[in-house]
Formats: sequence, C-alpha cells, structure tokens
Amino acid sequence: MEATQLSPSAGIIQYATDKRKKALILAGLCLLLLIVFLLDIIIGSVRIPLREVFKVIFSHTENDTWRYIVEKIRIPKAATAVLAGCGLSVGGLQMQTLFRNPLADPSVLGVTAGASLGVAMIMLAGGSIATLYTIKELGISGSWLIIVAACMGAAAIMLLVMSISGTIKDNVMMLIIGIMIGTITLSVISIWQYFSSPELIKDYLLWTFGSLDGVTGSQLYLLMLAVAIGLIISFLSSKLLDALLLGENYARSMGLTAKRARIIIICSTSLLAGSITAFCGPIGFIGIAVPHIVRSLFNTSNHRILIPGCCLIGTILMLLCDMIAQLPGSQTVLPINIITALVGAPVVIWVVLHRNTISRQ
Amino acid sequence: MLSKNSYIFRWAAAIFIGLFSVVSCRQSGKKEEPAAAGVSTDSAYAKTRLRYAHGFSIEYYDHFKLAKVLNRLTGSTDTLEYLLVQEGYPVPAGYPKAQVIHIPVKTIVGMSSMHIALADFVGVADRITGLGSLDYISSPEIRKKVKAGKITQVGLDGNMNNEQLISMHPGVLIAMGNPDAGFGRYKTLTDAGIPVLLNTEWLETTPLGRAEWVKLMAALVNKEEVVNKKFDSIARVYNELAQLCSKTTDRPGVIIGMPFKGNWYTPAGGSYMGQFLRDAGAGYKWADSKGTGSLTLNFEAVVPEALQAAYWLNVGYVDSKKDIADKDVRYVSFRSFKTDKVYNNNLRTNEQGSNDYWESGGVNPQLVLADMIRILHPDLLPDHQLVYYKQLK
Repeated sequence: MEATQLSPSAGIIQYATDKRKKALILAGLCLLLLIVFLLDIIIGSVRIPLREVFKVIFSHTENDTWRYIVEKIRIPKAATAVLAGCGLSVGGLQMQTLFRNPLADPSVLGVTAGASLGVAMIMLAGGSIATLYTIKELGISGSWLIIVAACMGAAAIMLLVMSISGTIKDNVMMLIIGIMIGTITLSVISIWQYFSSPELIKDYLLWTFGSLDGVTGSQLYLLMLAVAIGLIISFLSSKLLDALLLGENYARSMGLTAKRARIIIICSTSLLAGSITAFCGPIGFIGIAVPHIVRSLFNTSNHRILIPGCCLIGTILMLLCDMIAQLPGSQTVLPINIITALVGAPVVIWVVLHRNTISRQ
Repeated sequence: MLSKNSYIFRWAAAIFIGLFSVVSCRQSGKKEEPAAAGVSTDSAYAKTRLRYAHGFSIEYYDHFKLAKVLNRLTGSTDTLEYLLVQEGYPVPAGYPKAQVIHIPVKTIVGMSSMHIALADFVGVADRITGLGSLDYISSPEIRKKVKAGKITQVGLDGNMNNEQLISMHPGVLIAMGNPDAGFGRYKTLTDAGIPVLLNTEWLETTPLGRAEWVKLMAALVNKEEVVNKKFDSIARVYNELAQLCSKTTDRPGVIIGMPFKGNWYTPAGGSYMGQFLRDAGAGYKWADSKGTGSLTLNFEAVVPEALQAAYWLNVGYVDSKKDIADKDVRYVSFRSFKTDKVYNNNLRTNEQGSNDYWESGGVNPQLVLADMIRILHPDLLPDHQLVYYKQLK
C-alpha cells in the first residue's frame, strides 16, 4: 500500500481506476512487445516470406539458408535485444533513483568503462600483457576471450566502487566517485589507443559501437542468467527504491540502512550493465531515456510499476532500434549504439526541458 | 553532464575511426588521370615507364627528375610535386611548390610495411634508418638492423616524433598519408627541410599498380634500370597467370574476410582484392559491385553466399578451424568450413606476429596470384607451393 503513502491526497476510488488504467497500459505494452519482437524477426536484409519465417519458428522448412538466417541470426539477435533492453533500462532506473539524478544511467558507476577497459586490454594492449597468456592457457579464446575480459574489467571496477560505497555516506559523493573512476578508466584506454596500430584501434572501436549480433548458443544462456539475476534483485528491492526516492533520511526513518540499500542496488545494476556490456559492447542512452518515458507514461514513482514498465518499454525500444539499425531492405547495418543515441538523445533533451518527473516529491 | 564522458569518448571514437579507417576502406568515385610516362629531355639515367600505376608520374630532365604524386587526402584530388635533384647539381628554379629531394637518397625513414618492401625490392633496405613502428617487420635484413639498434622508432604516421626526425634528418621520409588530414600535418618536417614523400600506393586499385610503386623508390636512388627489369618480369608472370585462368570456365565461389560484430567487410569489385579475385578466376558474388574499397555488409546479407561458397579466403586473425569456431560457432555451418576449404594469407607470419603478406606480398603480386590460383584451380598450377597462403585445419 505504499502507493497510497506516496500520494496521500489520492482517494481510494481514484487509486482503483488508476490501477486499472496502469494494468491496461501494461497489457497494451505486452502486446506491442510481441508484435515488435515478431517484426524484428521478420524484417532483415534477406527477404524471407512471412509464411516461411513462421515455418522456421513453428515447424520446419526445407530451405537451409532461411532456416540458418532465422534461427541463428534473427532470433538470437532479437533475444539479445530483449535482454539488453530490460537490463539497461532497469539499471538506469535504479541509478536515477539511487542518485536522485535524472541524467544518471547504468554507466555512471564506471562499470561500463571497466568492461571497456577489459576489452581494450585484450584488443589493444594484448600482445604486451602477461595476463593474456594466462587467460589463453585456460583455453579461452575467440569471442569468449573478449567476454571474459569485459567481465573481469567490469567486476574489478564494481568491487572498487562497492568498497568505496561502503565507506562513504553520501550518494552524491558516490556519484562523483563513480564518474571519476569511469573517466580514469577511459583515459587509460585512450593511452592504449594512442599507441596502437590502426587495425587494432578499428576493431576496438567497432566493439565500442555496440552490437546485438553474435550472442548465440551458450553465450545467450549465460547473458540470460546474468540479466535474470539482476532483474530479480531489482524486483525484490523495489520497496527499497521507493523509500530511497523520498530521501535517505526518510529511508533511515523507515528502518532501512541506506548503506545496505545502496550496496544491493549497485550490485544489481553492475551485474546488469556489466554483463550486457560484456556481450554486446557499450549501449548508451537506453538506460537514461527509458525510465523517463516510463515515469511519464505511468505517472507514478512506484517502483513495482516502474520496473516492469522499464522492462517492457526498454525491450520495445531496443527492438525498434535494432530494426532501424538493420536499415530494412539494405545490405548493411548501422551500429546499435548510434541508433539508441539518435532515439535516446531527443528524449534526454525533452527531459531537460521538462525536468519535473523525478525530483517531484 | 553525466554522460559528457561518453559523448567525448564516442566523438573521439568517430573521429578516430575516420582517421584510421584502414586503407582498404577508401572509396573514390573519381577516376585518376593516367600517369604521363616519362616525358623528358635527355638524361644520363635510365627512365621509368609506367604501365599500371595511376598515382604518380616521373618526368626526366637534365640532372633532375620531377615526380608528381596524386594526393587525395583532402577529398579532392591534387598533386604533390617533388624535385629529385642529382647530387652536386643546383636545385632548378621554376618549381615553387615542389619539395626537394637530393638523390640518390642515403637515408630513408618509412612508415608502413609496404615501404620496407619497396626498399627491399629496390635493394636499398640498408638505407632505412627509421620506421614508424619496430613491432611488425618481416624482412630479415631490417629485423637484424633493429636488433643491432640501428633503426629508430619514430612514431606512427600522424603521431610522429618530429624532434627525433629533425635530429635524424633523413634524406626522405616516406609517409602513407592519412585520409582525414591534409598534407599540412607534415609542415613541421618540411619546414625543417625534410622532404616528406607521400606514398599513396594503397590507393591503386590493381595489384600490379600497387607493386609498380617500386619505380618511384627506384627513382630516389637512381636504380631505374635494374628495377624496371625486375618489375617487368613480375608483371609478365602475373599476366601469364591471369591469362591461364581466363581460359577456364570454372568459377568456384569465394567469400573473403570474417564478420565482426555483425558487419562483414568484403572487397568491392573495383578494388585491389577484387582484381586479384577476377584474375584468379574466382566466382565472387560482389565482383561487379562499384567502389574501390570495401563493402560494409551485414552478416545476414552475406550468409546466403557464405553457406554455399566453395572457398573462404583471407579469414583474418585466426590460425585454425578451431579459432574460427571460437570466434562464432555459426561459422561452422559454412560449406567451405565443412569441406576444409578455408585458406588464410598468414603462412609467412613470424614469431613477432608480423605477416609478410602485407610486406613482401605487396611487391610480389605474382606470388599471391599464383597462391590463389593454386587454391581455387589446383589443376592449373599443380606444382606451385603456397607462399603466403595456408590451409586452415
């Protein structure tokens, strides 16, 4: 019943109609999500008749090429989009609530930069660093090497941020420290870039552009697991988030230790952002933009609605971005990070112009 | 403000990728005017005749040569002039724009593997005193010099250590040029009297055109006669091989390169690699595509061809079929993978990780072509041993 606590002026009747309205919006979004998901699988550079796509999904087709394209390219990509969309938006929501800052996103913790650091270590500084050989001796190579490196980088920064967060009281300080750690990390990467050969830099830059492609098989399952754990923690902590939104003092008066809440939230966001960045590369703006859309659509600050709302809208937006990135009918693909920025940046502008939703109490 | 970093980072990324987008990504709609073969007055030196290269020309005069190099760095085409003045003679008047190189040059600083190959071909590798990077060198002679500490690392093209270079004062600095920056970036060096020769061989769209830049190097050291002969024999072999292939009707399907993050860069029909594939009798789906660089396709667009193409060449930084499967398990469905017809151009990679394909391969297009023909049409060259390529197992 904390929704009534949050808006004590609202009457019981209005609360009931509100609730029905929100349920309706959620149902509508679910339907939209299904449609967008199917569209993402149907649309691509190679024209495959609708009937054949359904045949691949639900029964069997003789055309091996079409089956390969749908099964091994389009469905994994759409599934990755769903995971990335959910995880990044929820991560962004948590950061905006924790720091009570409308421009926070999952990368403010420096975890994304940490993942980039891991990847840069392999791709740019690779030849000269001893750890690479150790990793290779473990039998990790190819795409796994990049993923392991990104996870290690993200985990290292996450541990650093967590250990600092245990010692300080103020969330604003935490925010500044997170951003500074990110800046230091990116500077280290820049130094490596400066001394690397153009081909290596190019590979690394392609990675930083983000991509939903190529997360298949066991990688997809692992990403699914990481995102699922992150989301479960997030759902379970929705009450914490509601309390935090009212200020740390209020949260403390409710018996929450602000410190513990902070650690739980940082933990789930790091898991979400770190794993998604490891598999897909950095994907920006979804984490900033989606929470704002959700807040204005549902007109609430109740995280038990905001979190599922973020999952749905984040997924829908990510799938739409993926479709745009494919430039339907063309043979090329644009980096996903560019498209999310193109879609996300206008939203951020809109937020700056109407910054009313988050800081309103 | 929070995402200012990522903004900057991303912008920097965009600029960097533009700056460094590899040689092969260059596209140009324009056709260069063919190079004028040596118009000249009489000269005591053998003259260069050009047949394949379009990016430079050399004119011969008494006691000096006038080399013109096409510079497309600024987007528009313009020409850089170099006066190659014979030792002991005055610099001729009337060429205010030209840089002066005193020949035969005694010391050379190069920027790319190709520059090493050019010097090696002409027989003046011992005159190299500086290189952009000492990490990737195949030539044993240069490697030996590096070990003995006789070659200075001067920094990559675009980030050169100007003070170092000025103190070395090489007879000529050979630069690759950087697509996004004008020639102005070399001003500090040219002002200090170091001639900067822009070697735009990578803009050539044919293997022989690229290799023919050995003749510019030859002009710098007065070795035209021997280099002309050497190049002519290479061109003859190359053309004979291409002729051999043109007689067969079999055109086995080929895919090139490996996708990364959903993008598959594959050579355009009008590119250097496109020409190799044509001459090697390959059935290349994008052979008729326009452009002189590479096409950026998405994975899905290439898959229908990749699933059924008989051969897979130039696979990138992999050394075995396991490496390929590790990159992305989806590649094992390709026909070439299943039938062991995957070949990479990395046979001559030394323990430093330097691949001679990018060095001596540039001036030995006949060997590269022979390799490709041996792979695609084994009966045409049954006795040829692969030089640069190897089958991945």
